[in-house]
Amino acid sequence: MVQFAWLIPMFPLLGFLLIGLLNKRLPVSLSGGIATLMVFLSFIVSAVIFGEVAQDGSVPERVVLFDWISVGDLSIPFSFLIDRLSVIMLMVVTGVGSLIHLYSIGYMHHEQDHPRYFSYLNLFVFFMLLLVLGSNYIVMFVGWEGVGLCSYLLIGFWFKNIDYSNAAKKAFIMNRIGDLGLLLGVFLIYTTFGSVGFREVFESARNFPENSEAITAICLLLFVGAMGKSAQIPLYTWLPDAMAGPTPVSALIHAATMVTAGIYMVVRSNVLYVLSPDASEIVAFVGLATAFFAATIGLKQNDIKKVLAYSTVSQLGYMFVALGVGAYQTALFHVITHAFFKALLFLGAGSVIHAMSGEQDIRRMGGLKKALPITHATFLIGTLAIAGLPPFAGFFSKDEILAKVWEHSPVMFIVLAVTSVLTAVYMLRLYWLTFYGDFRGTENQKHHLHESPATMTMPLVVLAILSTVGGFIGMPEVFHAPHFLNEFLAPVIWKVNHHEASETFEYMLMGISVVLLLLIMFATYNTYVTKKVMPEENDKDLQGFAKLVANKYYVDEIYEAVITKPLNGISSFVYKYIDQGFIDKLVNGTGTSLTGFSGVLRFVQTGNIGGYIFSMVIGIIVILVLTMIL
Amino acid sequence: MKALIVIALLGVVTMMSEVFRFKKLLLPLVVVGLLAACGLAIGDWNTAIRYYSDMVYFDNYSLAFTSLIIVLTLLWLIISKGYFVSDSSRAEHATLILFTLCGGVIMTAYSDLSMFFVGLEILSISLYVLASSNKHDLKSNEAGMKYFLMGSFATGFLLFGMALIYGAAASFNLVKIAEYVQTTAAHGQTPMFVYTGVLLMMVGLMFKVSAAPFHFWAPDVYEGAPTLITAFMATVVKTAAFAAFYRLFSTCFGDISGFWAQTLAVISAVTMLTGNILAVSQTSLKRMLAYSSIAHAGYMLMAIVAMNKISGGAIFLYATAYSLGSLGAFACLHAISKYGDESIENLKGFAADNKIWAGLLGVIVLSLAGIPPVAGFFAKYYIFYGVFQSNFTWLVLVAILSSLIGVYYYFRIIITMVQPRSEKATVLPALTGAHKALLLISALLALGIGIYPAFLQGLLS
Repeated sequence: MVQFAWLIPMFPLLGFLLIGLLNKRLPVSLSGGIATLMVFLSFIVSAVIFGEVAQDGSVPERVVLFDWISVGDLSIPFSFLIDRLSVIMLMVVTGVGSLIHLYSIGYMHHEQDHPRYFSYLNLFVFFMLLLVLGSNYIVMFVGWEGVGLCSYLLIGFWFKNIDYSNAAKKAFIMNRIGDLGLLLGVFLIYTTFGSVGFREVFESARNFPENSEAITAICLLLFVGAMGKSAQIPLYTWLPDAMAGPTPVSALIHAATMVTAGIYMVVRSNVLYVLSPDASEIVAFVGLATAFFAATIGLKQNDIKKVLAYSTVSQLGYMFVALGVGAYQTALFHVITHAFFKALLFLGAGSVIHAMSGEQDIRRMGGLKKALPITHATFLIGTLAIAGLPPFAGFFSKDEILAKVWEHSPVMFIVLAVTSVLTAVYMLRLYWLTFYGDFRGTENQKHHLHESPATMTMPLVVLAILSTVGGFIGMPEVFHAPHFLNEFLAPVIWKVNHHEASETFEYMLMGISVVLLLLIMFATYNTYVTKKVMPEENDKDLQGFAKLVANKYYVDEIYEAVITKPLNGISSFVYKYIDQGFIDKLVNGTGTSLTGFSGVLRFVQTGNIGGYIFSMVIGIIVILVLTMIL
Repeated sequence: MKALIVIALLGVVTMMSEVFRFKKLLLPLVVVGLLAACGLAIGDWNTAIRYYSDMVYFDNYSLAFTSLIIVLTLLWLIISKGYFVSDSSRAEHATLILFTLCGGVIMTAYSDLSMFFVGLEILSISLYVLASSNKHDLKSNEAGMKYFLMGSFATGFLLFGMALIYGAAASFNLVKIAEYVQTTAAHGQTPMFVYTGVLLMMVGLMFKVSAAPFHFWAPDVYEGAPTLITAFMATVVKTAAFAAFYRLFSTCFGDISGFWAQTLAVISAVTMLTGNILAVSQTSLKRMLAYSSIAHAGYMLMAIVAMNKISGGAIFLYATAYSLGSLGAFACLHAISKYGDESIENLKGFAADNKIWAGLLGVIVLSLAGIPPVAGFFAKYYIFYGVFQSNFTWLVLVAILSSLIGVYYYFRIIITMVQPRSEKATVLPALTGAHKALLLISALLALGIGIYPAFLQGLLS
């Protein structure tokens, strides 16, 4: 069955072509159905392959489709790698992907442009599958670029709104900066190891000494790529703006799958990162800073999707901390649970927005519990999962990260623990403000409130179940239950630095986090429901730190002043004096003289045979004289 | 060999159709026969048999080119149906086309200079007639006459060259000539008249592939001949001529390449520059394509200059990509030039009327211009790479510059077709199903080859 792995990306590609080419000729209701079916078919094939690999798949299998690029010593086959890491990613991408496709049918039914939406969504899944399936950095890079393109297309889905298309451009450009880093990293990999295939690179890397310059440079360059795609400091500002896209897109691309590509890439390259503790330290530090700063910004956001966006940035930071301390399985564990609960939260938010007729400001919501029972229940599960209440999925993965970080550095642990407190605060604030209290929207909205259709609630329920039980694949050691994920991933992780954490510490950590969480629940309930404290209507009324946070530390403004403005200045200077003044004249001059020359030369073509034969004879004489005599 | 026999017999049978009155069956007969011939050629893959005391030698090289020119003829037949259904001299046309093809196959498979000459003449004489086959058109008559006069002139040089080589090697057989050249070159005793013979043969061949300064016939003949015949000449015939050129030089004269490669490199550079620069100022699409085919001849000559282990595959890939692109472009030209006006301005408004077909034409034009990811880019890439490996860096630079000039006029096609229609212009005849089919096939093949170029390139490497 592994030989049929090419079917997995084939289905969404087929869907993209079918929907994209037939476009408006398809019946309106059909495009969503086709798109969902295609991803679901991939899911089935993935599941079968997953089953096979789980049984006896400790040996990675390479499926070569065709020789793609072959020049000199460089040979890059278009091939897939089926191992335990890629099958897990396949399951997450196609599983969560098909749920979100299904959800989109209901969410987008008011829209005019169905086929465009669904064809892009299918194309995204295709590229994401290429990304996780590729058996070398180049195929992965194709997927990497492709998902960036689809992200751009879908953020700007409502391109008639200038803000939205600006957000799309911002995402694209920020990602390009990262992609450049990745590309340089891949070039350096090729010059260092003479290959870009995962197997060959990692095999020869094992003979390198620790912290060698080349490997550290490669790791850092790859990490720059990850910073862009997975929204880490300093390249994170595009992700909150990316919320301009339709909500299911935010769920699929900007929460569950694409943004975790950076983490997947680092886990895939774990051999290199193990060999470069210096680079790993930087990864951990950047992740920690991102987790903390994004969480503080989340405290003061009032747009339901923006809160979730900053929370995504923060959670991605968590994963990078785990990667930085060498806990690769744990990072992937969090990728999986995060995919469940964050997709759930986004889809829940989408359901809320759908019910509120497009309103996204939580200051205009409140009391939605009654009108949206299923959305409420599932959103609550999502909130508890991300806040880290046992037995929901987020608790296990987050706890494992905290435990691993404690082994690495207590200072980092404290910052990360504070971050998880902040996470609980902003998520519960969001929850209380949205679902409890009095309804604060307009009469019209109140009249229109309704639970979403079954195509939307069904994915919510499935994701809620996954967010509840998903954590059991990785039970903490102290429970003496098997940690399925660690065992499953063991063949693809090179060196696992395993320390027995003391049982007392683990229990203490769990106990404290549960107690703290309950305290936060109580406190936030008290503030937002009992005392009905509302966020300020206008950010200008805020003071001090709150104002700084509400304005996202003015990072966008700083980038604007420090990078964009000077760049624009330089570029307009270059445009005016160098481009227009010099290069244009040179190019146009060449063009004009060429056209003139061509016009003159055509008169040689007289149509007179005598002339032609004469010039042929001259030509022959010149050739003979030049070659024979000179 | 079976393919060659089938095609020759087919030619004879079609000639009979006039007498025995089965002209209605003409087209199906030709198509079925060619399909069979193509199948037989592919079936012989990896056999490499020498026939008739080593007169012809069907190795993989010749089988690949044989299949290619048969497939190109089949594709060409899609738009040329009218030529075989309604025209009064259709039987003669079919016969001549098949004999041209027959000559082409011999030119890809010869193993003896006399056989090469026979093939070349079967091909050329049929073509002289075909070029002037539009009897009522003065320009067509003029084209045939010009082609004949200048072609005979060039054949003279080719024969001179062969005679000199025979005088030295005492054989027409390619293997024997190669042995002779190798032994004498190893001792540094190659006689002067062998060099002269090589140069004279080169001149004759350069005429056939329309390399500068022997290209003067091409624009006039291409323009005067009926558009369909021009398409046939620019694709099938040119491919066969290059197959013969490369076969001769790679088999026999590789050991003295130091003597001729530099000259050929200069000629290749001059050819591509002449073709591209002159194409810039053309107003007739047909003439522009004629110059474009001269420029492409320059690029294909580069593979003969390089003459290393990847050039065989590279020239095959290039011939395929170029012929597919040209067939697509000629299909469009044929569709819009039904009223006899071949001006490029006629393309205005084309995209507005035929969105999909304009898109496909765009793909074809991109392939001809050599823009990734279409076939033409990879064809150029492999050619350039081979030349670079053989240390002709300056030639690669010239080729890149001249490609830039090429982009200018190729993109003019795209720009013109998306412009709004000018008021004066006549309404274009709609594309017929046949034109659409050929456009679609050639564009899809160009894209397919662009995604997986290594397949064709690897066939002969």
